[in-house]
Amino acid sequence: MDDKTTHFGFETVPEAEKAGRVQGVFGSVASKYDVMNDVMSMGIHRIWKDAMMDWLAPRKGQRLLDVAGGTGDISFRFLKRAGEAHSTVLDITEPMLVEGRKRAEAEQMASSLDWVVGDAMALPFEDNTFDVYTISFGIRNVTRPQEALNEAFRVLKPGGRLMVLEFSQLPNAAMQKAYDAYSFNVIPRMGKLIANDADSYQYLVESIRNFPDQETFLQMVKTAGFENASYRNLSLGIAALHSGWKI
Amino acid sequence: MMDDTRSAETPEVARELGFDPKMLEALVCPQTQSVLEYDAAAQELISRSAHLAYPIRNGIPVMLVDEARRLE
Repeated sequence: MDDKTTHFGFETVPEAEKAGRVQGVFGSVASKYDVMNDVMSMGIHRIWKDAMMDWLAPRKGQRLLDVAGGTGDISFRFLKRAGEAHSTVLDITEPMLVEGRKRAEAEQMASSLDWVVGDAMALPFEDNTFDVYTISFGIRNVTRPQEALNEAFRVLKPGGRLMVLEFSQLPNAAMQKAYDAYSFNVIPRMGKLIANDADSYQYLVESIRNFPDQETFLQMVKTAGFENASYRNLSLGIAALHSGWKI
Repeated sequence: MMDDTRSAETPEVARELGFDPKMLEALVCPQTQSVLEYDAAAQELISRSAHLAYPIRNGIPVMLVDEARRLE
């Protein structure tokens, strides 16, 4: 009997249920996802994504796998910076990809983009396929994040680079408390106001609070096999970038 | 703006956003990691080794075992 459980926000749910419930959340917010991100983070998610690109330094001819790539935000940035490159956007939620493909950038860059519905824990790609793997605000929604990291390692070519952008933990209790007060009180209400969906945004803040801190996640990156693994805090640790190399 | 009239459901757009068979080179079965066959008529990607057919919807391959059709 397999009765393993995982987190769904603050709820404990059977592992088998998590993917479906995550699809429910993102399917329901897909059309308002971009505007909600802007409102929730007061535009700061754009600065974080640019910081991600600064560290990643996309190069011409690289092949990116953009997991949990949803509406294409990371891929568009990557392709603009790289000049000529290719990106495969993978997401478990079909409506997010449909939204992404409708965006103007997707049309302009159509020949450099593929869109695939798939599971980060069972990627539909051969070993040693990609130069770069990114997952931005996605890995905390994966049922078993360690398995997603292991899969990232598998599909990257030797010399390939992992880059994870995710909400993280603030360095001291007082700051964390202030941030929690904001996120638990303000974000679900804004979710109700803008997307008419407080529950989905309640899930988002709970899942952020539940995600491993910087040092714990760093160990997970190393466990997957990555070398030269390190991280950088963004906005004092509200988010963090994790980097690792497959050598 | 043309954008307002676009929808993945209209036949013109479905054709325009059709599945690109070149993508097959990159895709494998997520369960067995074996090669896939493209059934253009059924808009499915067939994994013989897993006995599964993955649907392609609006030109997007859906590579989830839970969404695949089981082959006899």
